[in-house]
Amino acid sequence: MVENYSSGIRPDFCPGCGNFGIFAALTKAFTDLKLDKDNTMVVAGIGCSSTMVQAFSCYGIHSLHGRLLPVAMGAKLANNDLTVLGIGGDGDGYGIGSAHLIHVARRNIDMTYVISDNQTYGLTTGQTSPTGLIGYKTKSTPFGDIENPLNPIALAISAGATYVARGFSGDPAHLAELIKRGISHKGFALIDVYSPCVTFNYLNTYDWFKNGVYKLEGTGYDPKDKHAALVKALEPEESDYKRLPIGVFYEEERPTYESMDITLKKGPLIKQPMPTKEQIASFLNENR
Amino acid sequence: MANVSIRIAGANGDGVESTGALLGKIAALSGMEVFGNRGYQSVIRGGHVWYQIRIGDEKLYSAGDSIDVLVALNQDSIVNQKSHLSDKAIVIYDSAKCNVTELEGRSYKLVGIPFLEIVLAAGGDSIMRNMVSIGAVLKVVGIDISLFDAVINKMFLRKGIDVVNKNIKVATDGYSYKGVENVYSIKGDGKPRYLLDGNTAVSLGAYAAGCKYYAAYPMTPASGILQWFAAHADRGVLYKQTEDEIAAINSAIGASSAGVRAMCGSSGGGFALMVEALGLAGMLETPLVVVESQRTGPSTGLPSKTEQGDLLFVMHASQGEFPRIVVAPRSMEECFSLTADAFNLADRYQCPVIILVDAFISERVESVVNFDVDSIRIDRGKMADASATSGRFKRYELTNDGISPRSVPGMKGFSFVAPSYEHNEYGELVSDVLSGLDAHVEMRKKMQEKRMRKMDTMLKQEKVFAPNIENENAKHFLVAFGSTTSVAREAMAALNRKGLDFGLISFSYILPLDSDRTKRMLSGKHLIDVECNYTAQLAKVIRMEMGVEIKDTILRYDGENITCGEIVDKAAKIAGSQ
Repeated sequence: MVENYSSGIRPDFCPGCGNFGIFAALTKAFTDLKLDKDNTMVVAGIGCSSTMVQAFSCYGIHSLHGRLLPVAMGAKLANNDLTVLGIGGDGDGYGIGSAHLIHVARRNIDMTYVISDNQTYGLTTGQTSPTGLIGYKTKSTPFGDIENPLNPIALAISAGATYVARGFSGDPAHLAELIKRGISHKGFALIDVYSPCVTFNYLNTYDWFKNGVYKLEGTGYDPKDKHAALVKALEPEESDYKRLPIGVFYEEERPTYESMDITLKKGPLIKQPMPTKEQIASFLNENR
Repeated sequence: MANVSIRIAGANGDGVESTGALLGKIAALSGMEVFGNRGYQSVIRGGHVWYQIRIGDEKLYSAGDSIDVLVALNQDSIVNQKSHLSDKAIVIYDSAKCNVTELEGRSYKLVGIPFLEIVLAAGGDSIMRNMVSIGAVLKVVGIDISLFDAVINKMFLRKGIDVVNKNIKVATDGYSYKGVENVYSIKGDGKPRYLLDGNTAVSLGAYAAGCKYYAAYPMTPASGILQWFAAHADRGVLYKQTEDEIAAINSAIGASSAGVRAMCGSSGGGFALMVEALGLAGMLETPLVVVESQRTGPSTGLPSKTEQGDLLFVMHASQGEFPRIVVAPRSMEECFSLTADAFNLADRYQCPVIILVDAFISERVESVVNFDVDSIRIDRGKMADASATSGRFKRYELTNDGISPRSVPGMKGFSFVAPSYEHNEYGELVSDVLSGLDAHVEMRKKMQEKRMRKMDTMLKQEKVFAPNIENENAKHFLVAFGSTTSVAREAMAALNRKGLDFGLISFSYILPLDSDRTKRMLSGKHLIDVECNYTAQLAKVIRMEMGVEIKDTILRYDGENITCGEIVDKAAKIAGSQ
C-alpha cells in the first residue's frame, strides 16, 4: 500500500511559486522512502514555505517564526526513533532563527532541514531577506539592498552540519533525491533550495536561476572534501551569480548528538520508565 | 525554642559555602532543624561572601536576623559583619589575618584561633583550615565532635583514611582550643533530616513527577536546577543546554509535543526571552512547566540578589490570552510537591505552568524531615483513545470542559499538525485565505472560548487555587506569597509573643484563584501585605481579582530578603495605629 502523505489541504502558494516544487519533491521523497507518517514529525516555522506543513498528514508543528529548529530538536531528543524534518524559509532560518541554525548544526542533531530560499519575506508582502542580493529592490529596500548576502552553504558547513546540499525548486526530481539522501543521512542535513518568489522577486526569477544552475554530480566534485566544499560554496558570489552549483556540497559521517548523549544510551526518552518510589528515595537521600 | 545563627564570612574561594554547608549537614544529620542562606556577589574570586546557618530544635523559618556566632576568615569579615552582630555574639576569627580591636570593650566574646598554624602542626593541607573553625563552632553550639567524625568519614573516605584522620584531627583541635567554650545547648531529636536548597527540591520534584527533559541557558539564581539535571544525566533525565532561553523553551515544547514531560527554567531576564514561546504552548495546548527564579531587576539588576518583582510579569507575559497556572512554593517541601503537581496540572489542562521562585528560596537551604513521595501520582491527562479511531482526529475538539484529548507521535491514526495560528478542531488554519469569513470568525470565537474554558474547569476540579490561612481568628493578618511566607510566619509568632494578635494569609497557588473563596478569606480583615518588590504586586492582584484593597504594606526591594525583625517592627507599628 502506498502511504498517502497528503492531509487533503492544498498549499495556498501564489500560482507559479517555487514552493510547489519543494512540496512535490518532499512528497516524492516521503513516498520513495516509505516514511512511517505516524513516526514522522514535520516542524515548520512561519512564512510562505512553512505553511506547507499543513498539507502533510504526518505529525506536525507549525511553530513560531524562526524557532522550528529548537522545537524539532526537542522532539528528536524526546523520541529519537522519530524521523524529524524542518521546513521553513530563508527569513525564518537565516534571519530571525540564525542562532539556532548554527547550534543545531554543530550538535549534529539527526534531522533534515529544508529551506526555501527566495531572498524575500513574502508573507509580509515583499521585503528583502538575509540572502537578498546587493541592489535588490523591495518594499524595505526601495533604493536597493546594501547588505552583503549571507552564504547559507558556507555557514552550514563551517557551523558543523554534516550534510549540506542545495537544490532548485525548478528541478523537483533532483531536489527529491537530495532530500532522500538528507533524510537517510545520520546527522544534521541542511538543504537550501533556490526557490523563485514570482510575486515579489523580479531579480531572482526562474530564468535567472536557470541560466546559472548546474549539477555538481558528474563534475568529479568530491563532497567528502571539506576544504573543497567551502571553496565551492563561494562559487555563486565569486562568479557574480553566473554559476550556481546545486547538489551535495558536503557530507561527512560524524556521531550524532543523540548517539553520544549519556541519557539516551538507555534508549529514547519516551520509552524510559517513570521513576520508582525507591529511585526517588535514593535521589532524595543524596541530600542526607 | 533554642536556636543559634552562625555566619561564616570570608572571600570567594575561601570555602565559605562548603564550610556552612558542612555545618548544616552535621546539624541536620543529628536531628536538628537548619535554615541557611548565603550572600555573594557576581564575582568569581575575591569579594566578600557569607553563609549564615541557623540551627535550632524547632522548625525554622529564616536564617535569623542577626549573628550569634561569627566565623571571620579575613579582615573584611570583621568590617562588613560587625553591624549584624547580636549583643552577645561570639566572634571566632583567624588570629593570623584579623585585627579585632574595633570589637574590643563591647559585650562580644572574641576568640582568636590561628587556623593555618593548627592545620600545619597536624601535617594537614591549608585547605583544611575551615575544619578548625567548624570544630570550634560545634563546641560553642553544643554539638558533639563525634558527629563531625561520622559525616567526614562518609564524605572523604574515598580520598583515603589519611585525609579523614587529618580532618578529624584539626577539627578536634579547633573544638578543644583554649578559649572555645560551650554556650548553647541545642538537642536534636535523633531523626536525620534532608538538607537541601530550593533549586534541588524543584529538581527532585520534577524528577519524581517523571520529567525527562530540562532545557536551560545558565542564569543565576536558576542555574542550580540545570546543574542538578546535568549531574544526574546518566540516570534518566536529559539536560540540554541551549544557545539561548528562546531555544530552551521551544525545545521543551518540542519534547513535550513528542510525549515526554518537559521543563525549562531561567531567571526573569531569560524568561523575558521565553515569552513568545510561552504563548506558543498556550496556543498549541502543549503541557509545559517553566521555572522562573526571580532576582533583583530590572535588566541585569543584581544577579545574586532576591526580589519578588516578576509576579505580574509571569501572570501576564505574552500577547493574547490563554490559560496558564502560576505557583509559588513557600518552603522546600512545596518546592518538591508543587513542582511534581505542576506536571500533572500541565498535562491535565494542556497549558503552561509557571513555578515562580526567587534567589531567596532557590538558594537557601532548609532541613526537611520527610518529603511526601507516597502521594505523588502521575496523571498525563486526557489522551486520545487509541482503540476508538473514527475518521480524522480532532486534536482541538470543542469539548464542554475545554480539554481536548491529545495524541503524541507514534500513535497510529492520530497525527495532526499543531499550529501557532488560530485553527479549527483538526488544527487547520483559520487564519490565512479564509480569515474574516463568517464561518472562520465563528470558529476563532469558539476556539478561544474552548481554551479559556479550561480555566473554569481547573477551578471546578482542583481544590488548591486559594490561599492558606493561619490563626484565622486573629485581628491582623500578614499577607504573603512564595519565599517570603516563611519569614512572615516567624514574624507572626514573634508579634503574638509581644501580645499582639496576628494571623497569616499566604499564597502558593496564585493563578488562577477561586475568587469567591479567596474573597471570603480576605474580606473584613485588617491585612498587611508583605512582599519583596516596590509596587506591592500581590496586593494589586488581590485588588484586581477580588476587589479587596490592602492599604498597609511592608515592602523590601534592596536585593536582600525581608527579615523577621523588620516585619515585626513595621507590623507592630501599623497595628498600633489601627
